[in-house]
Amino acid sequence: MSLLQEEREIILSNEYVDNFDFAEVSEFVKNASKDLFISHHFNKKNKMLVQPRGGFPTYKKQFALNEFFVQANVDVLPLTIDSNTRLNDYATAKKMLRLSEENDVDMLNGYPLVNHGYRTTRKMITHFNKPVSLRHGTPDARLLIETAIASGIFEIEGGPITYLLPYSKNFPLDKAFLYWKYVERVCANYSKLNEPINRESFGPLTATLVPPAITIVIQLLEMLLSLEEGVKSFSVSFAQQGSMNQDIVTGAVIKKLAKYYAQQINCGDAAIHLVYHQWMGAFPTNKDYAEQLINMSTVIASMVGADKIITKTREEASGIPTKEANAKTVANTQYTLGILNGLPNVVDEEEEEMLTLQVKAIMEAVFNDPADTLWRKVFNSIKSGVIDVPFSPHIINHNNMITIRDAKKNIRIIKRGNVPIPDRCYAYEKAQCDLTKDTTSIVTDIIHDIGIMQ
Amino acid sequence: MKVVTGVVGNDIHVVANRLIELSLHARGYEVFNLGVNTYLEEFFDAAVETGADVLMISSLNGEAEGWSREVKLLKSKYKHLDDLIMMIGGNLVVGSGNSEDIIPKYKNYGFDIVCHQVDLNTGLDLLETFINERDTKESTK
Repeated sequence: MSLLQEEREIILSNEYVDNFDFAEVSEFVKNASKDLFISHHFNKKNKMLVQPRGGFPTYKKQFALNEFFVQANVDVLPLTIDSNTRLNDYATAKKMLRLSEENDVDMLNGYPLVNHGYRTTRKMITHFNKPVSLRHGTPDARLLIETAIASGIFEIEGGPITYLLPYSKNFPLDKAFLYWKYVERVCANYSKLNEPINRESFGPLTATLVPPAITIVIQLLEMLLSLEEGVKSFSVSFAQQGSMNQDIVTGAVIKKLAKYYAQQINCGDAAIHLVYHQWMGAFPTNKDYAEQLINMSTVIASMVGADKIITKTREEASGIPTKEANAKTVANTQYTLGILNGLPNVVDEEEEEMLTLQVKAIMEAVFNDPADTLWRKVFNSIKSGVIDVPFSPHIINHNNMITIRDAKKNIRIIKRGNVPIPDRCYAYEKAQCDLTKDTTSIVTDIIHDIGIMQ
Repeated sequence: MKVVTGVVGNDIHVVANRLIELSLHARGYEVFNLGVNTYLEEFFDAAVETGADVLMISSLNGEAEGWSREVKLLKSKYKHLDDLIMMIGGNLVVGSGNSEDIIPKYKNYGFDIVCHQVDLNTGLDLLETFINERDTKESTK
């Protein structure tokens, strides 16, 4: 028996798992409908796929939500997992699920997949016969993704960096790398049986003034960590940044460099896709304005040439959206995509060059770390501040990089910390901003720059 | 002057915490930022360890209210913290409340300076005024 299989048997002998049947699950994946695989839909390349967010505690409510989404002509169904499951606290999730079922009040902010189990969840997924994307935020997702794939969920979001740095203060990053290595291997193995399982990285990070160079570097590194384990279908992603031009430039650079670095490790055969998140920062409380913002995000996603868009709702500022509001966004986004024709081709060569130079310089610094494996190089680079994510709560993150918006609302680096931004690019970034101000007015500007859409 | 700061309890709202750190630096303080999700014991331990002059606790989700009730009791278990300036700011209640009720309550919990939904720079000005006034008192003793 391989070491991986030994580890899988330990993980799946968890007391909250009802007798995991490895052979039956493999047989299920092998014969599963192609329609359940988002990788299959990406290959057909008909249109930009529309995917909302959403998860309710009970089977009944989740089923009803999916019915609403299907009526709204959804392309990809989400399954958002509750926060107890994300922290591997299945006991609390179980208790809260029972309370939600008995009292008709939602006691969880998502679907507790491990507690529902794969036999139950699979009924829902195969009933709708649409691809499902697993949305969570789990540093140790080993049991969760085993349950997900066994349920017929063939897209797994997340990664050791993007699910840790924005969400956790002190979960050990080195452990996260090893737990995610397990996830990549399991996804890679199942990918051999049918269409590939798609892995997706979470580009928005903290959604707070993260400069595109940092976003792209982390997307590329999570992609490489996944491909080197044998994953054959991967989505890089980023969220709306606040300047249409910067989004278009980011999209162009990430597409080019993803292909380039995949080839560098002899994984050029893997399919790489681009996902765009509608605005992930603070939303306006005015629901009509929120709809305008969402609509504008859809237009920019089209300009960027995304393969999938992930939607927000008009109720974003007020909490977990109702199924009605959630489905409405799907229908509206599909409508906008349907009438968006004859888009101009915008290319900003100077900005693309500057961004490419920054990304390549950081990637080179990561690769030059003396550690023996890629995950250790990445780990050391985060520890030393070569990779620095603005507004990450994690203790390992340096927080020495400072960014603000220029007059055109592009995110610019005005203090690079230990991040090896080349001098020429650093001078260019700073030249776009008014740096004569004192720190007090810069802090006021940052507060304004974060709340730009409110 | 040394300041220990952080966000109390299970609150993980990080944005203002970073901006407080930046602003304190700009005003010339030596800052020890414990970040989000910090428990009271950690604040007092850090104050002892760094020899801090100011302890600045913040809260966004309002859970400070629950934690603050234990401040006096916990602080009394530490030696040498009598001169520590205690400041708290942010959203100091869950839901809504007004400053006239909130400020005396928190002063009673053992805080010298209480800022409920006060602009960051106004709050830091209050701290400076407090320090100056205290220094004047000391020198006239």
